[in-house]
Amino acid sequence: MAIYETVVILDSLLPPKEIDDAVERFSQIIKENGGTVRVVDKWGKRRLAYEIQKKQYGFYVAIEFEGEGNIPKALQSEYNYTDSVLRYLTYRYDKHKLKAMEKAGKNVAEAPVVEEKPAKAAEESKPVVEEQTPETATAEESSKEEAQND
Amino acid sequence: MIKNRKKRNCPFTEAGIVYIDFKDEKLLKKYLTEQGKIIPRHTSGASAKMQRQLARAVKRARHLALIPFVADFTR
Repeated sequence: MAIYETVVILDSLLPPKEIDDAVERFSQIIKENGGTVRVVDKWGKRRLAYEIQKKQYGFYVAIEFEGEGNIPKALQSEYNYTDSVLRYLTYRYDKHKLKAMEKAGKNVAEAPVVEEKPAKAAEESKPVVEEQTPETATAEESSKEEAQND
Repeated sequence: MIKNRKKRNCPFTEAGIVYIDFKDEKLLKKYLTEQGKIIPRHTSGASAKMQRQLARAVKRARHLALIPFVADFTR
């Protein structure tokens, strides 16, 4: 079993619910093909370095999973079938990456942990939620984001 | 005539980088020209091993629109 990661750029204009649905669908395909999802990382909405299908922004989602070589193929056909997928990249962790992971103390053989990281730019994609939260909280979040960018 | 060449050190090895992640655009941008081309090894001093990794990382990052294929100048 090898570890793979797949990064998908979804249309940022999709409602957050549909994005979640799509991610769920991709995870389901991984599971159906005998794989295990390790990490789902939503990077959030960000600006594309160049236009793709006339779009300036995309919603990035990265799924790290463990499984056999049939999964990337299955994912690919799903991505091609889904119109809201602007770009995708599925790659296998090479020896350098595995070495780096080992160095970081992350054991490769460790039991798969499914964790959902919150979207970094959640405020951008969910303007409704932003309005509901108190101003202080959003200010803190934005300052945190700035710190991350530095 | 043999010139005494200054020994170049690989910037990645010196920084203790084992794996160049394509998601780290800030790192990648250091090794790109203004136009977005990959800086050659004889300029950056990267080892062959790391230069190969760098090239792969840059190409993946370009595909995912993290860094541009060609940076356009708006002047």
